[in-house]
Amino acid sequence: MSARALLTRGNLAFALLMVVLFVIPTVASTFFINFVMTQTMILGMAAATIVFLAKYGGMTSLAQLLLFGVAGFMFGNAALEVGARGLNLGWGPWAAITFAIAVTTAVAFVLGAVAARTTGIYFLMLTLVYAVIGNFVFAQIVDISGPSGITSVPRPAFVGSPLSLYYVGVVLSAIVYLGFRVVGRTAFGLALQGVRDDPVRMASLGFNVPLHRTLAFTLAGFVAGLSGLLNVWWNGQIDPASISIGPTLILLIIAVIGGVSYFEGAWLGAFVYVLIFTYLRDLPLVDQIGITEARFNTVIGIIVLLIMVLSPEGAAGIAERIRRRLGGRTRTASSTSTSGPRSTDPDEKESEVHDDEPNRATEGAGAVPGSGSGALGGGLRGL
Amino acid sequence: MSRIERPKVRALSLAVGLVLLAAGCGGYSDSGGSGAPPGAAPADDGTVRLGILGECEGPFGGFHEDVVAGATFAMVEHAGATVKSRTSALDGFTGAQVAGTPIELVGIGCGDDTADRILQEVRRLVEQLGANVIIGPLSGDEGIAVAEYAKSNPDLTVFAGLAGSQEATLQVQAPNFFRFYGDGAIWNAGLGDIQYNKEGWRTVAVIADDYSFGHTSTAGFIADFCAVGGQVTHRVFPPLGTTDYSSYIAQLPDPDEVDGYFWAVGGTGTQASLEAFVDAKGNLTGAQHTGNFFFNPNLAQALGTGIAGAYVGGFAALPADVRTPQIDEYLASADATWESLAGALSSNQPAPPSVTAAFGFFYGYYSAGVALAQGLTAVDGSIADRAAFHAAISDLTLDLPYGDVRLDENRSGIVDVGISRLTVNDTGEVVQQTVAIVPGVDQTFGGTFGPDTPSPSRDFPRCERRDLPWTGKAIPVVGGAPQR
Repeated sequence: MSARALLTRGNLAFALLMVVLFVIPTVASTFFINFVMTQTMILGMAAATIVFLAKYGGMTSLAQLLLFGVAGFMFGNAALEVGARGLNLGWGPWAAITFAIAVTTAVAFVLGAVAARTTGIYFLMLTLVYAVIGNFVFAQIVDISGPSGITSVPRPAFVGSPLSLYYVGVVLSAIVYLGFRVVGRTAFGLALQGVRDDPVRMASLGFNVPLHRTLAFTLAGFVAGLSGLLNVWWNGQIDPASISIGPTLILLIIAVIGGVSYFEGAWLGAFVYVLIFTYLRDLPLVDQIGITEARFNTVIGIIVLLIMVLSPEGAAGIAERIRRRLGGRTRTASSTSTSGPRSTDPDEKESEVHDDEPNRATEGAGAVPGSGSGALGGGLRGL
Repeated sequence: MSRIERPKVRALSLAVGLVLLAAGCGGYSDSGGSGAPPGAAPADDGTVRLGILGECEGPFGGFHEDVVAGATFAMVEHAGATVKSRTSALDGFTGAQVAGTPIELVGIGCGDDTADRILQEVRRLVEQLGANVIIGPLSGDEGIAVAEYAKSNPDLTVFAGLAGSQEATLQVQAPNFFRFYGDGAIWNAGLGDIQYNKEGWRTVAVIADDYSFGHTSTAGFIADFCAVGGQVTHRVFPPLGTTDYSSYIAQLPDPDEVDGYFWAVGGTGTQASLEAFVDAKGNLTGAQHTGNFFFNPNLAQALGTGIAGAYVGGFAALPADVRTPQIDEYLASADATWESLAGALSSNQPAPPSVTAAFGFFYGYYSAGVALAQGLTAVDGSIADRAAFHAAISDLTLDLPYGDVRLDENRSGIVDVGISRLTVNDTGEVVQQTVAIVPGVDQTFGGTFGPDTPSPSRDFPRCERRDLPWTGKAIPVVGGAPQR
């Protein structure tokens, strides 16, 4: 790929954003970095897994916060040598990280394998059941947590300072963002989108539909586990309430606020959520109209309603809408209904597959889901 | 993989490698495990910047006014503050000063009974608003989380509000976290002794909420009851938030198989669990049931007067029937400070402030505020030397309306506990009548609990006979007057 081809507006914007994220600690307050931005990176990564499953797989998952929590619990169990609760394995940081991610990914694979044969509202309900069961598992099994959770979780030395934790969050977020975009263009990703759009046709072409869904869920679980690790380092503790229904829905709300069709929306939604949580109560006179800390969820609910009405594609979709109004390049975002997006217009599919990289059309693969050729040839064939 | 993806995949691989390289192969950070940035507390300019941690959401959301009012009242009484509103403490106060050091209220945190949320709130108060002294939090798991946070912020000073988890002081042992009241176990000290020696119980079954406070509250009763020779036959722990208790009641022995039952089920579960017992095993009798402070006269309104006769554990304040000149003065002063307060006991409707002030939620935070004021007095208002300030606080003995409080070596309160009984008054109503004050209770229960023992749990403590310092030393209370 030529350097010129890399100089797209999207790539330049991404590079500029990364520069801003790396430079911002020099100008912003310590609290803003340690609290607002670090939380944004953590929640953004977790919400991006919801976007990934919805955008490429047509699966709206409520189990992502559970997997986020599994990583945190497992790290706490592995890292602590002495503690009031948990296994207290006393392992080193890398062994604990490996253990946490391995367990989380394995759990995601198992849960994904069970859920892969369901779609739409049934998938949503099943993942909700996972979230509820997970909450009770950690609340009831005192050997790994119990109701009071794991406290005094140590941070590995490489994230010992708040600033280093923030930078690790930024780098991992960038990797996750680019990684998910890249996956969407791989043979697996294209096949997954084919499964999203027409599973029957994909199955008839010989693709193993449940396996594609399972592996997508597993990948999303792996990434949720990474964000869960950052969270347990940031928070120093995790308990069953951390993965209860309230926070589970909050993560979905973050994805909705940002826009479930856009990966960048995950971080934008997280940023908006954390900003509102942190600063809304400090606005002058805001308490005079009854908006106090106790009304935080009400405000978030109103914002979600407004987003759904004014911009169903979320905050990240607003710019796209403006661009379309001004007659710019059109781009159709995937529908985010629980039945999964179903494109019928070939141009739409092209834009989805190519994911807003205009130069992509001149380079290649050109295959679209359902063609059974080109890049899809490398998909996972059913046995 | 097509040619298009290769450069990006290479870039990703390079980035991952760089992250791992940057990470190095070190061990763990020594900055503690609260997630708090070390040194988050702002530079000291001689002013006490106070943050109060309450709960405006969750199961204790109704007590927000109570707890903020408690801390505020301490500032009014002991620091010369003036309340901004005569009907609510949530509007804050002005003019607080001790030994020339101003006390400025920088913010009120809004918890929801979860550790995650209270950590966010305390970080906001300390790292954004610059609080260097915190009063709070309210509940057990919150207390553990905030104690951990304090441990990693040595320049911060935390006076626990009403968090009743034993672990917050006994295990965490943050040198800057102080609790001038009892924990959930302490509040049941003496109850087992009374049931064994006065009521003749020899065996008991316990049922309690399955979380830190339920475990701790039950642990206090078990330690006390077993210390004098009693036996615990069953331990049942329904999850917090259970609505149908029938399956848990089924795990309890029948009334003819055990001498008594101890209950530590709170919130909406109190009544639901007792009703499930009535449905499955017959009527409740005061002679066979006892409980922690969740057992209160309100139960009788729903369950009938059969519960009269039951003994009830203590709380931060003594029951309302205990009156001394000091208590009367304290309540009168509260009434003079506000016209009304919308506390939890009055269903968050305006009521005389003394109603709220006599309740443990207000009083726990009040005790913390008094400790702050007296700690400042002890160091002549200078908090520049935090170690000296903390040492002075550790040495305080507070002369409080409901009894003196001093701290043990883990900076947790050694307190007097009031044991009461539900009785029927002349008008046929069930009321709470104090029967004894158990003096000088500390959280170790004569060695039952310590830094090296497990935290209270479903199966800890074990039932063991032991000499407790307060056994047999309860001070009788007759007509609300301690017979000291």
